[in-house]
Amino acid sequence: MAGSSAPQTFPTPTIVPLGDRSLLVRFGTALTDAANRAAIALALALDREPIADVVEVVPNLVSVLLRYDPLVSPATIAGELRLRLFALGDAALATAHWTIPVIFDGPDRNEVAALLGLSAADFIAAHNAAPLRVLATGFAPGFVYCGLHADKLVLPRRTAVRSAVPVGSVLFAAGQTAIAATEMPTGWHVIGRTDFRNFDPQAEPPTRLGAGDSVAFEAVS
Amino acid sequence: MSAVLTIVRAGPLTSIQDEGRFGMLRHGISASGPMDGGAFAQAGALAGGGRGGVEFTMAGLDIRLARGQCRVGFAGGDFTIRHNGAALDWPGAVTLAAGDMLAVTPGRWGNYGYLRFDADMDMAPVMGSIATNSRARLGGRVLQAGDEVALTGGSAAVPVRAGPEAQDDGPIRVAWGLHADLFSPELRQRFAAAEFVVSLRLDRMGVRLEDAGRVFADAAILSLASDAIVPGDIQILGDGTPIVLMRDHQPTGGYPRIATVISADLDRFAQLRPGTPVAFEPVSVEHARALLRSRRT
Repeated sequence: MAGSSAPQTFPTPTIVPLGDRSLLVRFGTALTDAANRAAIALALALDREPIADVVEVVPNLVSVLLRYDPLVSPATIAGELRLRLFALGDAALATAHWTIPVIFDGPDRNEVAALLGLSAADFIAAHNAAPLRVLATGFAPGFVYCGLHADKLVLPRRTAVRSAVPVGSVLFAAGQTAIAATEMPTGWHVIGRTDFRNFDPQAEPPTRLGAGDSVAFEAVS
Repeated sequence: MSAVLTIVRAGPLTSIQDEGRFGMLRHGISASGPMDGGAFAQAGALAGGGRGGVEFTMAGLDIRLARGQCRVGFAGGDFTIRHNGAALDWPGAVTLAAGDMLAVTPGRWGNYGYLRFDADMDMAPVMGSIATNSRARLGGRVLQAGDEVALTGGSAAVPVRAGPEAQDDGPIRVAWGLHADLFSPELRQRFAAAEFVVSLRLDRMGVRLEDAGRVFADAAILSLASDAIVPGDIQILGDGTPIVLMRDHQPTGGYPRIATVISADLDRFAQLRPGTPVAFEPVSVEHARALLRSRRT
């Protein structure tokens, strides 16, 4: 769970090429808490101490993408990476703490609660019971995956995709809560909305939440 | 130096591009940039190197220089170009005076062409770039008939002469992808031996392929943790449809990716018109990098 500070062993990573300009350090193929923590820890370590000729470092749910200068051999970068991985510790992941107010009145709220065998109020309480971790940003500008929820709050995505949900939609699926930072299509359940805006193309940086941040959702009306 | 050009006629996917908006993947934003980066650079060299350029599609493009004067470089695929009605060689360059017309119509091959100028396209960068991201609807601009585009500043760069890039008709080379190991060896062999066809469903985000041999019809692969995508990734949808992800790709995705088109061949792939047969040849990453290095020298 997010917030745990107990030291833990990271899963053994594999370093694989992703095309001829990137390497991917992957801590697993399925989303697990340990794989995600490892990915965030490695990305933070590479931000603190960059590897020469790596032009971009991107934390993902269970991996870190390293985009490199294609004139440099990826073997050199992989060698440097192994040294960093050897020294990788479970340093404090949470770089920032956020409280995000949510109006839980989404069109799928009642259905989600019913599928989980809960009343709407109990679902909201369970959803907000513990802070979540920003697992990664991906899919669309500023779109954050937050998790992981306890097993009792895990639901698959909807079978039908909505072609557009508005900015600020609070989405729920696969043991995670996500926030739409732009209007976007989604197959996730829409459980609420927030005024929190995670993406501003004019801002520097353009998004506010970063992988590893801690997020507490707060029900407001 | 300054000039203003008017878009007289434009296809639906005409956009302003620069080299790309790099470094923003962690914010959920892919780099965009020209579909045919080599042609974009070639047009820039012919023009004399102002920032940005116009990417147009098989529909072609007509422009008129409303004010000022500018040198225009053009390249990418094979198009027919007329300056005030007089045909010019493609690729090439021409100096426009106020009132001049430039009319581009499709030629024998290619999906994308570029106009670049000896002055900078005058617009505020978004996150450091004026590239249009059609997926995130960010930055740059999608151009339509009636739009005006201002050019400003000069360039000290000296235009260079460049001939057309040699067209290689061989298979599109790929490196095995992130999820290649989830496909059986037999399926990987069938993929490398199969002939696909570029479908009508293509845009800056991706190119859907027709798979007449139904190579992936039975490739049942369970859902995966969403992971990083790079341009050229070939993902297989749940119904077996292969899609080659292009410059405006989503930054992460959960469909399995069997292979990645190598950098040296991605421009060439982008220029394949709908209906063109396409085969993929697996090569090593080391070979892909050697091809890229030789391309740059």
